[in-house]
This record gives sequence, structure tokens and C-alpha cells, in this order.
Amino acid sequence: MKFKEKLKSNKFLITAELFPPKGVDISSFLTRAESLRELDAVNVTDNQRASMRTGSLAMCKILLEKGFEPILQITARDRNRIALQSELLSASVLGIENVLIISGDHPSAGEYPSAKPVYDLDVLQLLKTARILETGLDLAGKKLKGSPQFCIGAAVNPSAAPNDLQVLMFKKKVLAGTEFFQTQTIFDAAQYKAFFDKIKTPNVKVLAGITLLKSQKFMQFLQKLPGVNIPIEIQTRINSAKDPLAEGIKICSELIKDLKKFSDGVHIMAIGMEEYIPQILSLS
Amino acid sequence: MILTVQKSDKEILKSLEGESAVFIIACAGCAVKSNTADKQSIEYISKLLSDNNIKISEIEILGSVCAKQKTQEILSKNTNFQKAKTILFLSCGTGIQAVGSFSDKRLIAVLNSQAITVVESSYSKFCSVCGDCILSYTQGICPKTRCPKSLVNGPCGGFVNGKCEIDSSKDCAWVLIYEKLKKNNGLDKFINSFIEPK
Repeated sequence: MKFKEKLKSNKFLITAELFPPKGVDISSFLTRAESLRELDAVNVTDNQRASMRTGSLAMCKILLEKGFEPILQITARDRNRIALQSELLSASVLGIENVLIISGDHPSAGEYPSAKPVYDLDVLQLLKTARILETGLDLAGKKLKGSPQFCIGAAVNPSAAPNDLQVLMFKKKVLAGTEFFQTQTIFDAAQYKAFFDKIKTPNVKVLAGITLLKSQKFMQFLQKLPGVNIPIEIQTRINSAKDPLAEGIKICSELIKDLKKFSDGVHIMAIGMEEYIPQILSLS
Repeated sequence: MILTVQKSDKEILKSLEGESAVFIIACAGCAVKSNTADKQSIEYISKLLSDNNIKISEIEILGSVCAKQKTQEILSKNTNFQKAKTILFLSCGTGIQAVGSFSDKRLIAVLNSQAITVVESSYSKFCSVCGDCILSYTQGICPKTRCPKSLVNGPCGGFVNGKCEIDSSKDCAWVLIYEKLKKNNGLDKFINSFIEPK
């Protein structure tokens, strides 16, 4: 069953994300992908944290050939409306149906702080653009020879404050045609449930983003990121663990267990530690 | 007003390589309000030049350098300007280009033009002079300018306690807009509104 069809089912959906290699050696990418065979779909990030890597589209095509169902992440950061539409059409030509449309981390967060932030279209405009292409027209109103079909996702941050503003943006993105959401990382299932109850919408699936805390150092890095809220008890567990990775795996699987009670699914961000995802899932 | 800030000494001196004398034009308009063409700034630049053996033939303070006709009229009567090969500007980029439109002299910028802004004690960018004003839809706050991602239909997920993820000392433009929308009962309209790409 395709991801688009699964979104219409009652299945608890599980996705994860892979980042492309920095360079042209894809062997590690493929090894990491193998741990994700049983998942419903696999996201490929688009120059995440505004740092340069091989393109998401190329890696999605490779995943597709290997029998995975990829989700192409497209940010509005690096391309103008000509390149964005072209990328969407290219995805369709290559058989990639799922796209996650996000604004993308600002260049100042990455390796090239002076890079020009493009944002020619904002997220809402890009979501609508994908839907316009499906009608057989482009943004300039020109007719397309063959129109694409997409399964369109977007992001929402359950931890942003003021929280109600994210609820409004969720609704706006639904009105713009979003079929599924993958959230920014959460660590507190109860807090997430309060948000989830506010945004619950028929026919729109929301997958809670969770991150594997692989080390104390990584947790410290995460805490510096905007909107990341790690409860004290989880911090203590990681900080006092003899084996922080094993503890992180446990925390992840406990979180998934809690989420299975009410959430539509989870989106796992293991950041290079995808080999542990099967273990996390078997414990949940 | 146009907000200006002084370039680094290093950059100014690099652009003056090979020069032994300059004529200075300081703008008493926006640059003075930016504290980049006031008495102190002029003294600072004068010392920088003398420390590097560059003579100043004259310092001409003009009301608004960008008022081209007036500027041209004054400078055409100034013999030091006529003799000068190189002109140093304590003005915004418009002032420099106004003089460049009637003079073939070497023109050197001391200031960077940062933004169109309102006059207040702490300057921040307010307007990008984009030619497509959307303030009627955004409660008088410009997200094209004040959001680093120029998001016109709502915020990203990066605001933390109302602050921008890029610079935690700055308010998220969309949180400011949201607070005003709430006060003005505009939230329902906001959900259903959509600003098309320009």
C-alpha cells in the first residue's frame, strides 16, 4: 500500500528521515536506509541545518529504486519559484509522489551564513503552488504538458510559544492542501497530546517527531536549538546513564508506546543512528 | 530615513589605496540621525585619514546629498571639489549615486546603507521599499522585512517565547502581528487569508 493510501487508513504510521551524504559516496546512506525497510516512508532532508549536501531528489530516486517509499523534503530557502516548480515536476517525472514542504533553516544557522536566503515563495505559497501544478497549470498560468500528482506534507512545531499561533498555522496549511504533517521534535507525550487535541482534523494525519538522544553531548546540542523542550527527568536519565545511547533508545521506545495510545504516528529523527531504529520499534 | 553604519577601517583604507588627498562630503540628513556623519564621525574619519597620510582638501556638509539639484548647484561653485580627484562620502548609497550622476570623480563609500527605518533610539529594519506594500493585511508590521525568511502568510516553527529563532534579541514579526490580530478580532480572517506571490 502506498503512503498516500496508508494516510487514509487507521494504521499507526512510522516514518524516519535520512540525510544525504556530504560528497558522492552513498554507501553509508544505503546502509542506514536498510534499517528502515519496515517503515511506511523515509524522508530525505534538503540541505538540513542550511549545510550543503547531495540533493534530496537524487537520494529519493535511489531509495525508490531500492524499494523504499521516499518523502522528498523541499525547503523554500534555496530556490526561486522557477526552480521550485521545476523540482516538483522533476520529482513527479522520477516517480516521487510524497513531498514535505518546509521553510528550511535560515542560512545563518549553517555552514554558509552569508548565503542569500531566497524565500521567493513562502511555505503557504509553495504548498499552493504544488496544488496548482496538479491542475495542469503553473504559477504563471501556463498549461503543463502532463500534470503531476503529489501527496503533500508540511511541518508544525508543537513546542513553539505562543502555541496557539502554531495551531493557526496548522489550520492555514490544511486549507492550503496539506495531507499530512510531521512535527518538530517532541519529548513530552502529555504536552504533545494537549497540542494534538487542539489540531485534530479529519483526513489529516499528524506524525509526532521524535529524536534519538544518542549522547549527553548531542542532548546539549539539541537544547540549544529553538523550540526544543526536553523535560528535566529525561535530561537526568541521559546525564546519569552509564550507557546514554541505550537509555536514549529506551526513552524513544517509551515515548512511542505513549504516542501509540492517541497519535496518528511517529516520525523518527535518529540523525545518523538509524541502525537502532528497529530496536527502538521492537521495544515499543 | 535610511540607516547607515560605518564600514570597517580596513575596508575604508583598502578603497583608498594609492590616494593622497580626498574631498569629503558629509550628509546632514539621514546619516547624521544614524550618527554616521555627525561631528564625532567626521573627526574619527579625519583622524583615520591623517594617520594614514591622506590629506583632506575640504569637508563639505550638505543638507541632503540625495537632493541632486541642490547638491550639484553647491558643488559646482566649490573650487576644492572641482580640483579633487577623489570624493569620500559620509552618506547613504543614494547620495553617492546622486553625485555620480553629474561627476566622473572617484567616489568612495565610508558607510553601508542598512535599511529604511523609523527614527528611534534602537534602529532595526522596518521597510524594504519593495514596491508591493502588504501592511494593510499584516497589522502595520512588515514581515517581508522583519522576518528573516520574509514569510508573508504566517510564521515558521522557530519562534521561542515570541522571539525569532535567528536572533533571540528580536521579536518574531509574526508573533507581533498575531498579538495585534488577537486584539482586533482578526484571527478568523487571518486563517482564511492568503497573500499571493508578487
